[in-house]
Amino acid sequence: MEYLETGKIKNQAPNHKASVSTQTGFPSPATHYLEPSIDLNKELIRHKDATFYVRVSGDGWADFSMLHKDVLIIDKALTPKAGNLVLIVQQGAFKVIRFPATRSSASFTVWGTITYIIHYTL
Amino acid sequence: MIAMVDCNSFYASCEQVFRPDLWGKPVVVLSNNDGCIIAANKEAKAMTHIAMFEPMFKIKAQLIKNKVTFFSSNYTLYGEMSQRVMNILETFSPNVEVYSIDEAFIDVTGIVHTSLKQYATLIKDTIVTHTGVPVGVGIAPTKVLAKLANKISKKVEKFNYVCVIDTDEKRIKALKWAQTKDVWGLGKKHQARLKNIGVFTAYEFTQLPLAWVRKEMTVVGERLWRELRGESCIEFQTMPKSKKAIGTSKSFGKKLEDLPRIEEACAYYISEVAEVLRAQKSCATYIQVYVTTNRYSNADKQYSNSCTITIPVPTNNTFILTQHARKALQRIYTPGYRYKKVGVNLTGLIPQQYVQGNLFQSPALYDKRLMNVIDALNHKFGKATVGSALVGTRVEQWELVKKDRSNRYTTQWGELLELKNK
Repeated sequence: MEYLETGKIKNQAPNHKASVSTQTGFPSPATHYLEPSIDLNKELIRHKDATFYVRVSGDGWADFSMLHKDVLIIDKALTPKAGNLVLIVQQGAFKVIRFPATRSSASFTVWGTITYIIHYTL
Repeated sequence: MIAMVDCNSFYASCEQVFRPDLWGKPVVVLSNNDGCIIAANKEAKAMTHIAMFEPMFKIKAQLIKNKVTFFSSNYTLYGEMSQRVMNILETFSPNVEVYSIDEAFIDVTGIVHTSLKQYATLIKDTIVTHTGVPVGVGIAPTKVLAKLANKISKKVEKFNYVCVIDTDEKRIKALKWAQTKDVWGLGKKHQARLKNIGVFTAYEFTQLPLAWVRKEMTVVGERLWRELRGESCIEFQTMPKSKKAIGTSKSFGKKLEDLPRIEEACAYYISEVAEVLRAQKSCATYIQVYVTTNRYSNADKQYSNSCTITIPVPTNNTFILTQHARKALQRIYTPGYRYKKVGVNLTGLIPQQYVQGNLFQSPALYDKRLMNVIDALNHKFGKATVGSALVGTRVEQWELVKKDRSNRYTTQWGELLELKNK
């Protein structure tokens, strides 16, 4: 079963108010063009109830563009495809790999698919 | 048809999601203040030579020796993980009755696009892949049977956590498997009585004449009897019931002797329960406060006492409740003992719109807005950001010991799971 969002239907944030100037009584020229602001929760997260954040410690995964203190967004609902970055568990330890095209299934357990890497630049 | 979905050793499973090094190993979770074990996973339960229900100080050495990992309870994590599970269940049915933190009934009537067994398997697989928490699913025509199906799904290995009772033949087989103790809602007293007349299995129970059951076991027994025979009598409750009483009691981190510290703890607990009270829009009529010393300590003199006060006009105002609690506490506090625990219970709960005043006091006397602001602040900036000054600032002197609590991985940005690599 594939679905895009889970849970209850939420009301849109009330960002669509037609703003009428209290000074002049004229509506703003942007009235009909207003849209809700970008919400990263909506853009970056497809399955809210299956999404977890984890923090990278150390630069051992620099090859995957993951540096010390980066935060990974992990979606456990996705079925990984070949080439996807995945967090796996092998012999009781976490590891990051690129998901192989052919897989000998017994060798590891997929914990989740990494969808974004949040890197702090300042 | 009704599905009962129940997480397997929920607290331990939540911990294990983030600790793959513990997969397949014994894990237990301790009560508040690390006093005793409240949850154990399958591997830990298998260690029958350890008396898991004994207080922690008696068995700690044994747990360590047997390489059992123990965690202080992390209700923030368990609550959040529970919410995820329940949200996912809502994608499977429009009617979900959350029965407790780790179990829910869902209405699967009208599922026709697939077999119930496949649907149950899908529910099970989805929850474990999305959250990492394993569950068992039982489907049957009534709640009591669904609960039994769930139990069978976990206890009988070949079912592999999915059991559907959808024919009379399967129902009877299940009833013959079940001892009376496996029946949801059949208390110890009734079990003993049934044993006396030679009834040991759920099946034998359903073969008793209804008149006998009604007479000897009241309407509660009759409902179970009917439910087990496939006749649904327990309604679906999608709205949570309001609580009839709210209480909390926790052991202190260390023994306390002087009244002011105990008062602080008491005031803190009042602020906790009052918040719950306001969230469900109720007011309390009675307040009970109790104190107790450590009954496991042979060196200490023992004392325990409780005091219940009637609040003149029922309220959910933290400050008024605190005043009354303090009065009650002062009445039962006796110097010279080393206290282990203070507890508060609010009872006689009524909806806040039906509060009656008396001749001298109107219910509207206290402004609700202050409490609203306090709740909003505490919600935004964290628990106990603002509150009664009686709570004080020396929380660390009586606060719970949670020595081995795991991180709040899903609610605190500073406590995320850390992946170490070299």
